[in-house]
Formats: sequence, structure tokens, C-alpha cells
Amino acid sequence: MITKVVIHGYRKFRHFSVDPDPTMNIIIGDNEAGKSTLLEAIALALSGRIDGRWANDELNPYWFNARDVRDYFAAYAQNPKTPTPSISIELYLDSNDPDVQRMRGIHNSLRNDCPGTKLEVVRNPDYDEEFAAYMADPNRPNVLPTEYFEATWKDFNDIPLRRRPTALGLSVIDSRTIRSKSGVDYHTREILSSFLEPKERAAISVAHRKSRYEMTTSVLNSLNDKIREGSEALHDAPIGLTMDQSARASWESGVVPQVGEVPFVMAGQGQQASIKVALAMKRRAESARTVLIEEPETNLAYSRLQKLLNRVEVLAGESQQLFITTHSSFVLNRLGLNKLICLHGDATSRLTDLGDGTVSYFKHLSGYDTLRLVLASRLVLVEGPSDEMIFKRGYFDKYRKYPESDGIDVISMNGITFKRALELCARLDRDVVALQDNDGTPAAEIIGELSEYTSEIRQIYVGVSTLGKTLEPQLIQVNGVEKMRKILGLRAQDNPETWMPNHKTEGALRILQSQETVVMPPYIQQAIEHFA
Amino acid sequence: MNRSILAVAGGRKTQSIVDECGSCSEDHRILVLGYTTASQDELATRIRATGVHGHRVEVMGWFAFLLQHLVRPYLPLLYEGRRLAGLNFDGDPGRYAKDAERFLDKDSLAYKLHLAKLAHDVMVSSNDSAIDRLEHIYDEIYIDEVQDLGGWDLEVVQALLQSRLRITMVGDMRQALLSTNIRDPKNRQYRKEKIFAWFQLMEKKGLLEITQKPTTYRSNQVIATFSDSIFDPSLGYAPTVSASTETHPHTGLFTVRESEAIAYAQSLGALCLRHSKSVAKHLDLPFLNFGVTKGRTVDHVLIYPTEKAHKFLSEGTQLEGGAACSLYVGVTRAKHSVAFISDEQLPNFTAWTQQAPRWSTLGA
Repeated sequence: MITKVVIHGYRKFRHFSVDPDPTMNIIIGDNEAGKSTLLEAIALALSGRIDGRWANDELNPYWFNARDVRDYFAAYAQNPKTPTPSISIELYLDSNDPDVQRMRGIHNSLRNDCPGTKLEVVRNPDYDEEFAAYMADPNRPNVLPTEYFEATWKDFNDIPLRRRPTALGLSVIDSRTIRSKSGVDYHTREILSSFLEPKERAAISVAHRKSRYEMTTSVLNSLNDKIREGSEALHDAPIGLTMDQSARASWESGVVPQVGEVPFVMAGQGQQASIKVALAMKRRAESARTVLIEEPETNLAYSRLQKLLNRVEVLAGESQQLFITTHSSFVLNRLGLNKLICLHGDATSRLTDLGDGTVSYFKHLSGYDTLRLVLASRLVLVEGPSDEMIFKRGYFDKYRKYPESDGIDVISMNGITFKRALELCARLDRDVVALQDNDGTPAAEIIGELSEYTSEIRQIYVGVSTLGKTLEPQLIQVNGVEKMRKILGLRAQDNPETWMPNHKTEGALRILQSQETVVMPPYIQQAIEHFA
Repeated sequence: MNRSILAVAGGRKTQSIVDECGSCSEDHRILVLGYTTASQDELATRIRATGVHGHRVEVMGWFAFLLQHLVRPYLPLLYEGRRLAGLNFDGDPGRYAKDAERFLDKDSLAYKLHLAKLAHDVMVSSNDSAIDRLEHIYDEIYIDEVQDLGGWDLEVVQALLQSRLRITMVGDMRQALLSTNIRDPKNRQYRKEKIFAWFQLMEKKGLLEITQKPTTYRSNQVIATFSDSIFDPSLGYAPTVSASTETHPHTGLFTVRESEAIAYAQSLGALCLRHSKSVAKHLDLPFLNFGVTKGRTVDHVLIYPTEKAHKFLSEGTQLEGGAACSLYVGVTRAKHSVAFISDEQLPNFTAWTQQAPRWSTLGA
């Protein structure tokens, strides 16, 4: 089990550290926040490979942190002895498995005495002269020459690793994989072969070889006689055809999984993902301790996704450690909000101390757009779409722009209680304003009940009861009936007091688009002022 | 309980390790430490032959063990920023080298000369982590040819004895010829055959139990009894009992005149042995030094005694430790007969002559 991931200088991550949950980790973040990079880094340090290819073969300048590289070239101009950028990815492990304990030592950046693996990319001292020559060239681009770097993969006992230690299982499930021509992609093949006992593998291999040999001796034999007759004149030794018996023709490339009557690669991508998860689950008990799943929601319809997530949950319960990236609130709510790791650059935020009640609340309301709530840095929580539009109008009147352009997300509660949403925001330490109707309860009482979650940057504003129970009467109160009729563009015989509660959204839209000046109720004004 | 099993030459020491490894339970992890490469290979081959999965029983050399399990994981805790690159087999840092320079050369290879001390120091710096790590990897450690350990090795062994690991040491102090480090001043009083006293000390501390196995499956009783006499009785070694049932027409203890040595060696196919190259240079026989024949079994040996050995044979003057061990190794190679090249008649030995009936037997 991975207890800590420490990354230095790899892509997005300059100095990154996270302590994953032992069973399930749901990694969320904006686009480009480094979600896939984190999974990639874990796979690299665990297997020494990236998409099936050795780190050294895949090494390229973009692996290095862009800021590290920029700083280096700037500093190099001043002092050529500036240390070159390097990459280090460390996985700290916790396991009593004797084979994992062999990887124990203190050869890691934290000096922790524990088992672990690390992948490092450093300058290869064999190329010191070449590197110096490259750097001295006045016409060189500001790009690191990775040819003079070297990736090393070691354990914390400082012993180089040559293949993934059998005690460290790894399954990568990436539903975004493009169909590969070679039948099955590397990760699926890995999953497949770890699914089989060595004896079973050998049996398949032997049978496969035999069938290929039989083909050579039967059908091809007569064909070869024919070729021989014609070719004797061309070449000394007779020419013939035979089945490929080399390593390339191993059963792994010839034997492919099949879904129903359809070969795996021809199956839909969503189905492929389900199958991979199913296969990863059925691996031999001693393998597959770490499972990396990229965006399981991709290509899956709701009901299929539901099934897939059920499987994933079972998987997490079987002493496996899961890392799942997602853009889907559904996935997040369903698998448990308390397991989320929210990435933004080198920083992460967690929701580990979220109450069990809230976790299960969102599990049951899995359709709610929690992700939006989690990802927004400043947000306004409103009761419904009409409140949203009124707030936007008020905000625009005050600042001459809409809240979105200031990075403020206005989110409708759509039935979620303010208490749950505020608890989430408090745990994430978000800058938030909640706008609530009093519905007949004294404002002070409502605010008092939620005081646990409020602070300097988290405020609740409730309409004062003297101006009305909900937004609509409040608007009429502060603007006057006549003015309101004008703003809404109503006929003289229409009474805003009866019309508005019956046309909430329509009314709000008209207010948002109205050319008339609109006065905002005090609590909305306060909320707008909050972002001054 | 930790064990120190001290068996006589031909006591099937290696076989006992192989047997125990072969019958260990499925989830048991065993490390077997050999001293010479040859003995490690032999151990590994014979243990595999019992059908044990390589995963469960691992065979390693003593130095490799010190490097990989004690020095490497925690070296930076003792010498900040240093990493182990490997072993410097015969380098010498010099008498005045201090700190890290005393233990690691400029390429960070550890000097074999001071490796045990380095391993001990790193172990201490790691605050028991090194031992804890071992306890997580193995359940049991066997140390073969334990008599060859000395100096700081013994401090490392003592730490192992105090751990949760079950330690079994197998050896024979009568065969203490090699030594991991002859220049190590630590534990000087327990060098070579005196390691027995160290075992007794450990037993007194309650860290192990000494078992003497005085049965030889190789030599006959005459040779066994003679081999016992090489050591001072005050050392307290149990008398050897022969369990050999093989018979041979030429059996017993003989003296052979120098002029007849070649004829004797040829007619019996005897293995010719001596203490070292400096002995018996004038004789054209394929002599081997005692040391290199450790572990071997032959029917007959022909030994050219050193002066001191001759004095022991003729007058019963006790040999000092090292010389006694050498002679003991030489004598105990033989299943049936031991002959010394000597023109003088030795007490309790039968003189062999070509004229005499070819196969003279003793006591038969």
C-alpha cells in the first residue's frame, strides 16, 4: 500500500506530496491540474514504465517541470555551475510482505525508514562534456537535452530494479485508450497475464505453438511443394512458407479476449472499460495491489457507469488501493466525497474529516454537481435559478461585469441543504456566500444554526422577515409595486404580488434583462459587497 | 531458541541444513549464509534438489549479507550522503584512515577488511531498524561454517541472536582455518578454535543452546579417536563416535618411509596432504594444503607432518590452535586410513613397507 507519493520536478509538479487513502482515492481537479500526471507518475515509479515502455526510452524534455527548466536557463546565464533540473518520483510503501520489506531502507528524500520505490531522472555523468558543449552553444534552444540524462529506477534499499517486483501489483485501466492495432493494449495484456497462473500460461503457450506448427506441417506443406518446384531455378536452397515461431508470434498477441461473440477490440470502449475492471478484480490475490483508473465515466452511459462503480467499490474492499481520476460529480458522490483528493498545482486539498452523514447524503444524491462546488474557489450558493439570475443582475449593476468573469461560480442548491453544502465548503476552506430566504423564520435563527460553518470568508445572508418570506416579496418591497410592474413589463391589470410567485424563473429572467434600474434587497446587496 | 550446532568432521553439517530447509513449512522464510562461494553453490544446489521453492530459502554469502542487509539500507545514517557501491575485496585503507575513509574507498566500495565493523556501526546508527527490517524479511537464519567468523562478525551475530529471528549456527571449531578478517583486533580472545568459548559465553547469556554432535559418518573409529587426540582434552570437546559401516582391506594408522612414500601413494591412491607449500618441497608428490581440502572425503590420506606435528606424533606434545586445526582437517578427510611420512617409528602407528604383506590390517 502506498502511504505517500512525493514528486519533484515532474511535469506539473514542482514539489508535490500527498498521503493517499489506503483503499480509495478519487482525484479531481480542473483541466491541466495534473490528474493524469499523478497516475502516470505512480505507474512510472511502480513499474519503471510508461504505457509499457521503459522510462529511459520515453524520456523527453517535457517531463521536466517547465518552471524548473526556465529558472535553470536563467540561472545558468549567471552561473554555469547551477545544478541541472532533475526529476524524482518516490512511492513510500507500507506492507509486512517480506518481499516488499526487501525494498526497505532510508534512501529517499524524507529519510523515512520504510519500503519504497523511486524513479529518478538525473544528468548522466558520462556525458558531462557533451552537456557542457551543448549549454555553451550560443544558438541552443532553452530545452534540456534529455539525451544526456538518465532515468534510474531503484528501491529504498538503493538497489536498482530491473522489473516490477512481483509483490507490487499494478493495474492500469484507461477507458480513453485508443484502439490499438496489436489486438490488446499493453495494460490490458498486463492485466490478462497476471490473471493467469504461470502453469496455465505455459499450457496456453505450448498449445499455441503446437497449433502453429501443425499448420506448417499440414496446409503449408503442399503449398511449399508447389513453391519449391518453381523456385529451384531462382535460389540454391528451396524457399518455403512457415508459421512464425519467434517471440513476436507469442500467444499474447494471438489470443485476445472476447466479449460475447465479439473480440475485445471490437467491443465498445465503454464495455472495454467494464471488462478491464472485471479482469483487474479477478487477478490472483497476491498481485494487483495498486489499481489506477482514468476517468471511468468516459464512454459510459449512466446505467453502465453505475454497474462499473459498483464493481470498483468491491475492488476497493479487497485489499487493493485505488486511484481514480474523474470529471464526473456522479463518480465522486457515488464513491464517497471523503475520498477525494483535489489537485491544484503542487497543492492538494482533502475532505477526510467530512462527517459520515454528509458522505452518505451525497452518495444518495449522486446526481448533484458536487464537483462544481468543490472546484470553484469562490462561490455563491443560492436556492434556485431565480435567485441565481437576480444575484447576477445585482452583481453586474455594481461591478459592470458578471460574477463568472471574476472567477465566482453561482451555484443553485437544487434541493441540497445549505448545511451540507456549507460543511463541504468549510472543509475545503472555500470563499463562499450563501443566500437564503427566511421562509418565515427569523434570520438570526437561521444564521445561528449554521454558525459552525461560517467565518470571515464564509457568510450567510438571509432576507429580513419584515421584507417578506422569499425573494419575490422582498424585491417588490424594495422596488415598489409600480416600479416592479415596469421592470417585469407587466400589464397594468397584472399584480406583481400574485404574478411573481407563479412565474419565478420567468420573472427573474425578465429582471436580469430589464433596462430599468433594479434595487436589490439588502441581503443580496450584502452578498455583492462581500466580493468587493 | 537459537542453536549452535557443533559437529565433528564428517558429521553431515551441510546435510542437516539442507534437510531442515527442505522440510520447513510453506510460509517460512529462511536465509542460509555460507562462507566460501563453493559452499554457497553447494548449499544452493542441494537445497533446490529437495524441491524447496527458491522464494522461501535464500542462500547468500556472509559478506553479501553484511553489505546488502546491514550496510546498504542505512549507510547514510552513519555517514551522511554516502551510498554503497560494492565491495573492495583486497584493498586496505591504511592504519590511520579515519571515519568513512576507513570503511569506504573513493568509489564508495566497502573494504572487506573492515566490513563487519562498518555493518555493526550502521546497525547501531539505524537504531535497530536494520534488525527490524531483517525480522520482516526472514523467520530464520542459518550460518554455515560459523567457526570462520571472528572479530566484529561476532558482534553482528550477537545482535542477530538477540533479535526475534531464529538463528542456527553450524560449524566445527576444530576446523577453524579460514577467517573473515585476520587483522580484526575485536574479540581477539575468541579467534579461530577459541570461538567455542564465545559460544559458551553466549549460552551463559541465554542467547543460544550449544549442541555437540560427535558422530562422524566418514572416518572409522580408529581415525576418529586419533583425531580427537590432536586437541587438548581440557578444551572439553566431546569424543567422536564413528557411525561408519564401510570396511576396507587397508585400514588404520601407518607410518611410511620417505623413500616409499611415492609407492604408498600410488598403490593406494591416497590423497597427499601437507600444512603448506614450505613443507616437503623435496618430494615429488601431488600435495595439497590442508586448507583447500575442507569438505572433501577420500579413502586414504598420506600426510607429510610439520616438525611440530612430528613432535606431537612422537612425543605427544600438544599443538597450538591453528596447527591443530590444520592437522585435524587433514586427518579427518580419510574414511579408512591415515599415514604419516616418517622414517622414525611412531607409537601406535603401523610401519608400512613394500616387502611386507601388501595389505596389513590393524586389529583385524
